[in-house]
Amino acid sequence: MNYLRELPKFEYLAPQSIPEVCEMLAAHEGEAKLMAGGTDLIIMMRRREVVPHYLIGLKSVPELNFIREEKDGGLTIGAMATSWEIQSSSLVRQRYDFLAKTAADIGSIENLHVSTIGGNLCDGFPCVDFPAPLLTLDAKVKLVSQRGERIVPLDGFYLGYQKTAVEPDELLTEIQILPHNHRYGGAYIKFHDRHAIDITTTGAGAFITLDSDGQTARDVKIALTTSAPVPLRVKGAEAALCGRKVTEEATEEAGRIASEEASPRTSWRSTAEFRTKLVQVLVRRALRQAWRKVTTSSSSGAAPDLWLMHPLDPRIGENR
Amino acid sequence: MKQRVPISLTVNGEIHELFIPPWQLLLDTLRDELGLTGAKRCCIEGQCGACTVLIDGKPINSCLYLTIEAQNQEIVTAEGLVEDGKPHPIQKAFVERGAVQCGFCTPGLVVATKALLDQNPNPTEDEIRIALSGHLCRCGAYVQITEAVMAAARETAQKEVGV
Amino acid sequence: MTLEEVIEREGYSVIGRPTPKKDGWIKATGEAKFADDLYFPGMLHGKLLRSPLPHARILHIDTSRAEKLPGVRGVVTAKDFPGILYGDFAHTRDYLPLAQDRVRYIGEEVAAVAATDMDTAEEALDLICVEYEPLPAVFSPEEAMQPEAPQLYDRAPNNIASKSEFHYGDVEKGLAESDYVREDTFETQSMKQGMLEPHACVGLWEGSGKITLWSCKSSPYVVWRHLAMGLGVDPGNIRVIQTYIGGSFSGGKQEGMPMDFCAVILSKKTGRPVKFVHTMDEVLVIGHMRHSMKIRLKTGVKRDGTLVAQHCRIIANGGAHASIGQLSIFLPGLGLNLPYRVPNVQMESYRIYTNTGFAGALRSHTQPQICFARESQIEMIAKELDLDPVEMRRKNARAGGDVTPSGFKLGTFGFLDGLDRVIEASGWREKYGKLPRGRGIGMAGSGMISGARLMSHSASSAQIKIREDGTVALMTGSADIGQGADTVLSMIAAEVLGVRVDDVTYAMIDSDVTPLDPGAFSSRVTLWTGNAVKQAAEDARKQLEEVAAQKLKADPKHLVFRDRRVYVRHDPQRGMDFASLVRSTQNRLGHPVMGQGSYTSGDEPIAVQGGYGNASPAYSASVVVVEVEVDEETGHVTLAGIWNASDCGFPLNPMAVAGQSMGAFTMSMGQALYENLIRIEGQVMNPSFRDYKMPLIVDLPKVENVHLFDIITNDPNGPFGAKEAGQGPGDGVIAALANAIYNATGVRVKSLPISPSKILSGLEESRSNKP
Ligand SMILES: Cc1cc2nc3c(=O)[nH]c(=O)nc-3n(C[C@H](O)[C@H](O)[C@H](O)COP(=O)(O)OP(=O)(O)OC[C@H]3O[C@@H](n4cnc5c(N)ncnc54)[C@H](O)[C@@H]3O)c2cc1C
Repeated sequence: MNYLRELPKFEYLAPQSIPEVCEMLAAHEGEAKLMAGGTDLIIMMRRREVVPHYLIGLKSVPELNFIREEKDGGLTIGAMATSWEIQSSSLVRQRYDFLAKTAADIGSIENLHVSTIGGNLCDGFPCVDFPAPLLTLDAKVKLVSQRGERIVPLDGFYLGYQKTAVEPDELLTEIQILPHNHRYGGAYIKFHDRHAIDITTTGAGAFITLDSDGQTARDVKIALTTSAPVPLRVKGAEAALCGRKVTEEATEEAGRIASEEASPRTSWRSTAEFRTKLVQVLVRRALRQAWRKVTTSSSSGAAPDLWLMHPLDPRIGENR
Repeated sequence: MKQRVPISLTVNGEIHELFIPPWQLLLDTLRDELGLTGAKRCCIEGQCGACTVLIDGKPINSCLYLTIEAQNQEIVTAEGLVEDGKPHPIQKAFVERGAVQCGFCTPGLVVATKALLDQNPNPTEDEIRIALSGHLCRCGAYVQITEAVMAAARETAQKEVGV
Repeated sequence: MTLEEVIEREGYSVIGRPTPKKDGWIKATGEAKFADDLYFPGMLHGKLLRSPLPHARILHIDTSRAEKLPGVRGVVTAKDFPGILYGDFAHTRDYLPLAQDRVRYIGEEVAAVAATDMDTAEEALDLICVEYEPLPAVFSPEEAMQPEAPQLYDRAPNNIASKSEFHYGDVEKGLAESDYVREDTFETQSMKQGMLEPHACVGLWEGSGKITLWSCKSSPYVVWRHLAMGLGVDPGNIRVIQTYIGGSFSGGKQEGMPMDFCAVILSKKTGRPVKFVHTMDEVLVIGHMRHSMKIRLKTGVKRDGTLVAQHCRIIANGGAHASIGQLSIFLPGLGLNLPYRVPNVQMESYRIYTNTGFAGALRSHTQPQICFARESQIEMIAKELDLDPVEMRRKNARAGGDVTPSGFKLGTFGFLDGLDRVIEASGWREKYGKLPRGRGIGMAGSGMISGARLMSHSASSAQIKIREDGTVALMTGSADIGQGADTVLSMIAAEVLGVRVDDVTYAMIDSDVTPLDPGAFSSRVTLWTGNAVKQAAEDARKQLEEVAAQKLKADPKHLVFRDRRVYVRHDPQRGMDFASLVRSTQNRLGHPVMGQGSYTSGDEPIAVQGGYGNASPAYSASVVVVEVEVDEETGHVTLAGIWNASDCGFPLNPMAVAGQSMGAFTMSMGQALYENLIRIEGQVMNPSFRDYKMPLIVDLPKVENVHLFDIITNDPNGPFGAKEAGQGPGDGVIAALANAIYNATGVRVKSLPISPSKILSGLEESRSNKP
C-alpha cells in the first residue's frame, strides 16, 4: 500500500460533448482517464494506483447528465447523474423506490452530491452498490467510442475484479432500464458495521415481477454485492423461485442456494464464512421485501415525498 | 504539461482570479491560496466531513473536488456564513448548545447544516442524523450537535415568520 | 444535594451554570488557527521517509539525489542529530528523532526533507536510497517473550519493556477461602486516538540559536523537555507555542515527535520556517495508540457475592518503543479494584516490545480495558451464583472514606448514588431479563483518578493579571484541547473575582510566557490547575479586598465580589464597580494587581512499578447502563439507550461535563463495537477512516434516549468541589455493552471489538449446543 500523496500532475481536459470525449480518449489512448465525480478516482490517484497523463473531466458534458422516461416507458439514466439526483428523481422514486434508496445511501450527503452512477458502475469494484439493484432490473449500458456505440447488458459487463467491458477508448454514456409490463417490486439491502457510510460487507438485491395470476412470481432476479470478484447474479436462486409463490420457505431456500452460488473471499475486512451467512439472510430479506411490495401495493411501492430516501429513515420502511 | 492555469473562483461572494496547478484540490486552493482555513485538512478521503464546503448550495467534500471544476459556481465556506461580523444562527446554536469542543469538525458541520436547513427547513431528528452522518466528531458531541441543529432550525423558522 | 441547591447555598454566580466554550465562536466561524492553518513567509514543507520493513538494520542512506532535486532545500537523517535518546522515564527512554542504525517497525521515520512545496518534498523522498538488512521480526507479545525470539533492545531481555507487580493481602489464601473462583481471559485490540486534527507543527531555528515550535500539543512542556533532550540543547533556548488543538486524547500530541525535531533541524539547515503535517494514513500507521492487552483475571468470591481475592495478569503489546509505557502498565493495576472492596489483590503486568507501532496513552489510559475484564467477569460470576448483578456490585461497592489495599484514599466516591440513579432511570428492574429476545440491557461501574502524582513534576500553576478595565488575564500551563479547560478555568477565576467569564482571557500555552505544567492528561486539569487558578484569583482578590475595605469602610471578610461589583454583604448599596477598584488598588499599591497560585497533591509520588500510596487527590465514580438491540440474524448491534451517572464532585460547567461524559462514552463505544487497527506482519491494513471505523452520529441513540446524571459529592480537594469528568464516564462502557449484548443474545464475547461475526458465531454455537 502506498501512503496518501498529493495528486499526480496531469493535463486537465474539459470536453463539452460526447464526441469530444471520444476524440480525446482516442487521441490519448492508454494515457487518459475519465473523471466523473472523482470520489474514487482522486483517492486512487493519491495512492498512485492510477497515474493518468490526461484527465478528461466529464462534469462539463451536459448531455451525460439526465434521467428520462423513454417513449416505450423505459427509463434511461445518464452516466453523470449523481447519486443525489437519482435519489431525488420522482421518476426513479415512483418506478424503482429501491434504486432511489440505494442512491440515497452511497455514503454521506456530501458524497451523494458528487458521486455518479457511471463512476460507480465503471469502478469495477464488487463492493459498490449500484450494480446489484441494476442487475436485478436487467439494466444495459451504452458504451460509445469513435468506433461507434454498443449496448451491453450489465449482466456480463463485469469481467473480473476491477475489470469491465469498457475499452480504453470507450465512454459509458447511459444506463437503460426497459419497461416492466407486470406488477413488480424490488429491494436492495446492504450490511456494514456502522449504521452508515461503510463499505458494504455484503449486499443483496431482489426484483420480482408478478404473474398475471396475481399469485406467483413470473420472474425473479437476485444479485449480490461483495460476494464474488464481480457484482453477481445468482441464477440458481432465481430459478428456484420462478413460477412459485414467494413464501417464507421459498425465500429461505433461495437464500441458501444464493449462498452456495456466492464465492466471497476472506480478507482482513471480513471472512468468507461470515459473508456467506449474510448472503443467506440478506437475500431472504430482500425477497421478502420485494414480495411484500408486489403483493401489497398497486405499483412498485410508491415512494413517499421525502427529502431523502435513506434506509435509516423509519418512514421508508423496515430493513428486514 | 501546464504547471498552472488561470481560473476564476467565486468564494463567499468574492471573485478570485487565480493561477493554479490543474491538479490542485479545492480544499488546498481555499486554504493555501485564499487563506480560508476553516475547511480542514483531515482524512483527505471524504470520510470525515471536516473539509465540507457548499458548491451552489450543495455540501461537498472539498478534498475530493478539483478546483478547476469548481469554476463558475458559488462556493461558500464556514467563514462565509458570517454576515456583518455576526455569526450565523447555526454557528450560534453550535456554540450555545455545547456542540463545539475541539472545534476541528465544526466548520464542516456548520456548512453541512446550512445546506440541510436551506433544503429542508424542518428536518426530523432522523433526517438531521442522516444528513450529518458523513461528519466525524471524535470529541463525541453528537447529541449536542443534533440539539444545535434542531435549535437552529427553530430559530430560522421563527425568523421567517417574523417572530 | 442538587446542583441548584449547591449554587444557592454557596451563592455562586458563575460556577455551576452551563457555559458555552469560550473559543466556540472562532471555531464555529472557521477563524481559529490550528497548527496546519499557520503560514509563514518563506515557509518550507517537510515530509518524512518511513521504514517499509518491520525490523532491519540501516546499512546506508544516500540522500544525494534528493538533495539535487530543484526545490529541495534540505534533507536530514539521524546523523544531523546528536544521537541522544529522549522520552519520558529515564530508565526506559528509547526515542530518537530519526532511526539511527535500526528500524523496528513499519512506519518508523528514517529521513526527512524540506522543499518549497509538498509535491517536491514527496518526490524527494522517492529519491532517497536506504539500504536495509532485514532482521527477523516478531509481532505478538507472547512470541516476543520467548527466549529465542528476536530482541528489539539489548537492555530489555525477553523484550520486556516494562512491568508492574504488586501484591496486597494474601491472594492465595483468599482464593482458597472463596466459595467460587473463576478465571477468564479477555483480549482487547489496538485502538487509535482518532483525533481529527493530524499532528502538525512549524519549526523555526533562528540565527541567534533560539528555537521555536508552533504545534498542536496537549502537553507543550513535555514537548519542550523532549526537544531539549533529543537536540541536546539548553531548554532555555527552546520555545514551544501552542496552537488551537483539534483533539488530542494523548498520544503524539503529548510528546515530542520526529516531525517536531525535523522541523526545527531543517529550519536550522535552511534558514526558513519548516512545516510538517501528517496525512491521516501516517497518523494511523505510526505509533501512539491504545495498548492491546491479554488480561487474565482470576476472582474468588463468597457464596453471597462478596469479593475476596483478585489476581490479574496482563500482557500488553507495547510495540517498538517505550513511550509512556511504564505508566501504562501500572495503571490497569491502579484501576483494577478501585470501585470495589477486594481485600486481597495481586497484579503482574508486562509490556512487551514487538515490531509494531508503539502504544502509549489514550483517553482514560488503560482503564476501559481493565473495566471490560472486571465488569464482564462480575456479571458472569453473578450469573453462575444466581445473584443479581446490581446487588452484587452494591454489596462490594466502595464509598467515600475508604482506603484501598494499595493505599488510595477515597475522599468522596459517589458510586452507590450513581448506581441508584441509573438503575431507576433506566427502568432496570422492569427490563433486566424481561426484554424480548434480541433486546438487552447491561451495566458496568468504574472508578477514576483526578490526576496522578506519579512523576517527579506534577504541579500546576496559574498567574492572574488584572487589567485596569477590570478584565482578567489568566495564564496556566494547561492547554485547552477541546475539553473546555479555557472555560472552566476562566469560570473559577471569574467566580472568585466576581467578574463574568467573558471578562477573563485565557492564554494559549507558550513556554516562554505561561507557567510550567505537565499538560492536559490524567484527568488532572480541572482539579490541579483549577486549584492553582483559584489560589491565584484569591491572591489577587486579597490585594483588591484591602483597598476595597478601606474605601467602603468595611471588614474585608464582609465584602462580596459579584457581577463586576464589590459590595458589603449586609448593605449591597455600599459598593463600587470592579474596574474602579482595580484602578484604585493599582494606584495604592504602585503596581498592577497580579495573583499567583500553584497546586500539587500533598501526597508523595508513588513508584510506577506498583508502589504503595495515594495515587490521586480525588477519585470519581461512574455507573453506566446501556440498552441494545441485536439483529440475531446478522449480529448487528444498535444502541437504543444510554444512562450514565458520574460523580464529578461538582459540575463546575455542566455543559462541558455533559460533553466530556458523552465524549468518553462515544470513544469507548467505538472500541467496543467498531474500532480495530489491524496489522498483518507488522503492516497496518486499515490506515484510513474508511476502514478504521469510529462512531458516527447515526450510531448513537436519539437525543431523548441519552440520559446523563451528575452525582454531586463536593470533594474537599477539588476547586469548588470538582473532580474529573472527562475519562471516568467512558470506563465502564465497553463492559456495559458486552453485558447488554449477552443479556440480549446469551452470547458472551471476551475479545474486542464485539463484531457482528463474533456475535453470530456465538449464537450459532449456542444453538448447536442446545439439544
Ligand atoms: C465517503 C464515501 C462513501 C462512499 N460510500 C459508498 C457507498 O456506500 N456505496 C458505493 O457504492 N460507493 C461508495 N463510495 C464510492 C464512490 O463514491 C462511488 O463508487 C461513486 O459512485 C463513484 O462515482 P464517481 O463519479 O465519483 O466516480 P469516479 O471516481 O470519477 O470514477 C470512478 C472510475 O470510473 C471511471 N469512469 C467514471 N465515469 C465513467 C464513464 N462515464 N465511462 C467510463 N468510465 C468512467 C473513472 O475513470 C474511474 O476509473 C463512497 C465514497 C466515499 C468517498
